[in-house]
Amino acid sequence: MNKNNVSITCPEYNARLNAAASLVDTVKKQIRQGVLRKRNLVWLELTGCSGNIISLLDGSNPDFKYLISQMTHFIYNNSLSASEGQKAMEQLFSVLGSDYILAVEGAVATKNNGLYNIIGRMNGKPITALEAVKTLGEKAAYVIAIGACATHGGVSAARPNPSESVSVQSVLNRKVIKLPGCPCHPDWFMGTLAHILLYGEPELDSRDRPLLFYSTLIHDRCPRRSYFDKGIFAEKLGDKTCMFKLGCRGPVTRIDCPTRKWNQYVNWPIEDDTPCIGCAQFGFPDAMEPFISYDTTREVKK
Amino acid sequence: MIKKIVVNPVTRISGFMEIQADVENNRVVDAKTEGLLFRGFEKMLNGRSPFDAVYFTQRICGICSTAHSMASTLALEDAMGVVPSEQGRYLRDILHGCEFLQNHIRHFYQYTIPDFVKLPQDYPLFKAEHNDFRLPKEKNDILVKDYFDSLDLSRSSHEMLAVLGGKAPHNHGVFIGGITTQATTDKIVKIKSILNSIFQFINNRMLPDVYTIAEYYRDYFYIGRGYGNLLSFGCFNGYKNLGTLYVDPLVYVGGKTSEFNPDNITEEIDYAWYKDRQNEDKPFEANPEADMSKPGAYSWVKAPRYNKIPFETGPLARQWLSGDYRNGISTMDRTIARALEARKIALIMNTLLENLVPGVSVQKEYSIPETAVGKGLIDTTRGALGHWLKINSQVISFYQIITPSAWNLSTRSSNGMKGTAEQALIGIPVRDINNPVEIGRTIRSFDPCISCATHIYTGGMHINTIQVVI
Repeated sequence: MNKNNVSITCPEYNARLNAAASLVDTVKKQIRQGVLRKRNLVWLELTGCSGNIISLLDGSNPDFKYLISQMTHFIYNNSLSASEGQKAMEQLFSVLGSDYILAVEGAVATKNNGLYNIIGRMNGKPITALEAVKTLGEKAAYVIAIGACATHGGVSAARPNPSESVSVQSVLNRKVIKLPGCPCHPDWFMGTLAHILLYGEPELDSRDRPLLFYSTLIHDRCPRRSYFDKGIFAEKLGDKTCMFKLGCRGPVTRIDCPTRKWNQYVNWPIEDDTPCIGCAQFGFPDAMEPFISYDTTREVKK
Repeated sequence: MIKKIVVNPVTRISGFMEIQADVENNRVVDAKTEGLLFRGFEKMLNGRSPFDAVYFTQRICGICSTAHSMASTLALEDAMGVVPSEQGRYLRDILHGCEFLQNHIRHFYQYTIPDFVKLPQDYPLFKAEHNDFRLPKEKNDILVKDYFDSLDLSRSSHEMLAVLGGKAPHNHGVFIGGITTQATTDKIVKIKSILNSIFQFINNRMLPDVYTIAEYYRDYFYIGRGYGNLLSFGCFNGYKNLGTLYVDPLVYVGGKTSEFNPDNITEEIDYAWYKDRQNEDKPFEANPEADMSKPGAYSWVKAPRYNKIPFETGPLARQWLSGDYRNGISTMDRTIARALEARKIALIMNTLLENLVPGVSVQKEYSIPETAVGKGLIDTTRGALGHWLKINSQVISFYQIITPSAWNLSTRSSNGMKGTAEQALIGIPVRDINNPVEIGRTIRSFDPCISCATHIYTGGMHINTIQVVI
């Protein structure tokens, strides 16, 4: 598709599907033409499962190789950095004073003044997740919260929240771009990053999610919508009809899973005959449970 | 004079970890491993719907989420008296196999290779501090190329998983009875096609690469042994028609192999910051509370034991117990066994795919018992994983998880025996105390997953001053 036709608010879903790749192509061309320079990127892992960096490695077009060779100077990540110990921490904090974009996955544990999550030591002193995100977050050109734990606490803050985990936004007095999801789809991050490199901040909704990806309810584009409209409901997993009564959270979840799909675009939860569990919506997981219920008395609100 | 080395962060693992090692005359004489993240999953699970455990517990770990979907599903089936069909077992074991391949390829190339191969230094991510890189340039270049090429294959492993599992990480497919969807012919052939590419890569690139490293780092065959006690809960085993394709539940102590008995598992907390009614408990009985002021404790890591002794679990234990690989137990053997196991898993997956009947639905409408108990024990990517749960009033009233990394990276037990990885560090040489690369290489041979161990680990309170060398 022609890059000039891409509108970030375009409701036409093919445009959305191709938008990330198209933006990246444009970035690539402009970097080659000397219009743009690669920017420093730090990917901080905090209180969580480190699954968003794994999801990033699962991305394609653009993939991880392209990210680190063509789009950014990728400075630090706990799962991937060759250096370790004090030198790894020096590498991480070397970006202070330069232009950099901060990507954060994981929540921020605040219990015991943050000591429930230590990400390294500098000169013998433990560096908590709380301290790291505050230090790096205040001075970054952009902060992108990646995945449910970073955007709103997610599973790390699930009740009774033993580590007293909070979102990245809660500890930073600045704008944080939010990419909820468990994990975050690699395209949601790559497309957001490409937009920043090319045009600056993407258009965000009132909760700082890029409209490019988070504008439309799953329910509105669900391939099983016609079953919902006709009142034909699945009674067990594996059925091919609407899973609303099994607990599907598609009606409250704004994200493009039905058109984008996952892992080389081969599948997504509803096509796998399971309900959406609302992992890309604020409130996940506590507000989205039960994930699966065979109590099919759930009412459709008129 | 004893010098204390502190390595924190131990990068290229999943999660956060610190190693403290005492070094005398360039040998490690004492070592402690600590996890530095706490979320408290077992407490979170109380009161939730038992069905939700399958998707919820996957969030323990981003790199091995399928492992937790397997163990939680087995625990629920045990509690509910559900016996999956053979087709159901084949299907979810195929998904489990995809996770093994994703993990092993990423662990070898993205986590292990940077210890032994000099990656392009114009990438900030690959900046190397030490200079113990021994490969000749032409061989180093091959492994650098394979570092990058491997990314396509580990990604493909998750693509295969998503074909039947919906998405990865954190799949939706593994569930009570087998998997949620049906394996239609188009999906089966898609997986076979991807698997073929992965098998070719493992055979033609990954195995030669691991042997290249072994050739130039032969000294690593002589360090990092630990106790040599090996444990497996079994996996890809006990099929009605196919028998055991990989390994049965077995233990190996003092040169003898015997059957595994789950009743012999205990967890000890003598040296961990927990209090309970007693310091040693069986998985269904333990209910520890944090106690950071506990005298004598030095870590938040509990100590899982089998017959009161520590065990190694993981690819080398399985390869040894199945009889596939018996060269030795060391840092390098552990690394080789992981690559060999990747090949084995690909072959097993192919056998399971050959035995699938297309289009079979294995799902039913399940109901939750008023009260029940269940356990799910299975060997997964990093080793023996157990989930123990109790249901009361149709909700989870108790949940216990013992992860492979808890076995491998445990603390000392009441009899003073160090954890397995702690023991493996004893005696290893440290040539350059400012760059103790030998420690990281040995710890990474266990493929630690601190994300997984987080429900038993916590940081906190060790703000004592340490003379830090690194």
